[in-house]
Amino acid sequence: MLLSVENLRVVYHDVISVLHGVSLGVNEGELLVIIGANGAGKTTLLRTICGMVDFFDGRVVEGDIKLGGRSIRSLHTTEILKKHRLTYVMEDRPVFWYLTVEENLLAAAHARWDNQVPQDMEEVYSYFPVLRRLKDKRAGFASGGEQQMLAIGMSLMTRPRVLLLDEPSLGLAPLVTEELFQIVGRLNREKGVTVMLVEQNANAALGIGHRGYVMETGRVVLEGRATELLENQDVREFYLGSGEKERKSYRDARRYKRRKRWL
Amino acid sequence: MDLLQVVLSGVLVGMVYALLGLGVVLVFRASEAFNFAIGEFLVVGAFLFFILFFDLHLPLLIALPAGLLAAGAFAAVVEKLTIEPLLGRNPISMTIITLGLASLLRASVQLVFGAHSYPFVMDLPDITLELGDMLFLSEQLWASLLSAAAFAMVILFLFKTRWGVAIRATSESQAKAMAYGINARLILLVVWALSGMCIAVAGIMISNFGSLTYLTAMVGFRAIPVVLVGGMDSIGGALVGGLIVGLCEAFVGAYIEPMGLIGFKNIAPYILLLMVLLVRPYGLFGTVRIERV
Repeated sequence: MLLSVENLRVVYHDVISVLHGVSLGVNEGELLVIIGANGAGKTTLLRTICGMVDFFDGRVVEGDIKLGGRSIRSLHTTEILKKHRLTYVMEDRPVFWYLTVEENLLAAAHARWDNQVPQDMEEVYSYFPVLRRLKDKRAGFASGGEQQMLAIGMSLMTRPRVLLLDEPSLGLAPLVTEELFQIVGRLNREKGVTVMLVEQNANAALGIGHRGYVMETGRVVLEGRATELLENQDVREFYLGSGEKERKSYRDARRYKRRKRWL
Repeated sequence: MDLLQVVLSGVLVGMVYALLGLGVVLVFRASEAFNFAIGEFLVVGAFLFFILFFDLHLPLLIALPAGLLAAGAFAAVVEKLTIEPLLGRNPISMTIITLGLASLLRASVQLVFGAHSYPFVMDLPDITLELGDMLFLSEQLWASLLSAAAFAMVILFLFKTRWGVAIRATSESQAKAMAYGINARLILLVVWALSGMCIAVAGIMISNFGSLTYLTAMVGFRAIPVVLVGGMDSIGGALVGGLIVGLCEAFVGAYIEPMGLIGFKNIAPYILLLMVLLVRPYGLFGTVRIERV
């Protein structure tokens, strides 16, 4: 295991418990998918791994996070990114709106500044040709898909070994999502970047992933190879919306309550 | 009085105010807090220079950079002690802290340096300019030139260096900056130091008009109309706001005060401020937010 999360408990504002003992692991070179409903704690999990949870007034109560066998639980985000080369791409297209696209890439390279920066920028442009065209435009004026590509491009400027992607498909058209996921898959294959992908779009994510976890209300409830999860009855019903149980009419759907409980 | 003389005098003073405004805008952009201790920063900066130049008799070319560095370091220490622990919290808390900081610093300055005024004559080369019947005093010209130079250097730093890019990125979102490995804590420290240096330059130049006391801090309040007229988060706005406030003062001083309204010059900028805010609540140059529709 390159990255392992062991029995993690996280609390916000000292009272709101979000993760109740999450354990999971990511292998080197793997593309791991985490799916789960809103409020399952997926974002909190990523924030905790990259050391940003205290910025959001959260606290790790129990458990540990290990990267390459060493604990990174008490490190600052900057250290984790610099020394362990783990980069977190926040949800909702984390780009700097008032900076140009090129300045955004430069800002992301700030922590590791060296003479390879121009070369890496060329590489980002080759993965995302659309960014080259936009490079002198303010990022706030780019479309949602372009912003998300920029965000991933920015994360590449930090030279990550592990990449945490938080719902990159948020608010994007299905075709754009597909293109984006193709590129994420390529990054994983060609550059050997280990990816941990948190998604609502279970179908697309499991399509490119190797292995997956299902999270629900702060716990991991299911684990398996991506292909198995795609076939799983419950995953199909709750996340893919194509369960083969009884067909429900709209009238039933309104009162439809989830009957299945995992635990 | 000659109109041109009034306008140019206003511009000269306005440059100093612009620098003062820049000091506030930098901090506001980075930590979203309004620094109410600006007047005290100004006095402390001027006193640090005073010690190096007048007490230790260092040559100006050493005393000025060293004094500014000391002022920057002072601002950084203040940030480290009072603002950094609140990183990620509500900016209002930080603003309130700067209010307390203002009282504390004012009292400390009074305790250390006393309440009497210190003569502050830097003896810069006399560059008094006489053009026809217009007269520009040497101190004003120096103040304006040095302020403009400092302003230009800050702009270059912000827009042409990678540290500047990182500062602008962090100013937009601390969380995003941290996620890409920019050390937001360090950047805030740098921003406060930069702001402290800007304010110190303004403080030294203002003291050079006459003398320095702990009451010189009152000039710091001028920064409020400057940044609110220009727009709290706009660097160009600080420049324009500074010039507008300078011009406003010069005009009122030349045309309205002689009518018997002595001291009106000091409140005119606030009346102007009210008028601008009624028409444009974000200030004249406040960032027009990028809206996605």
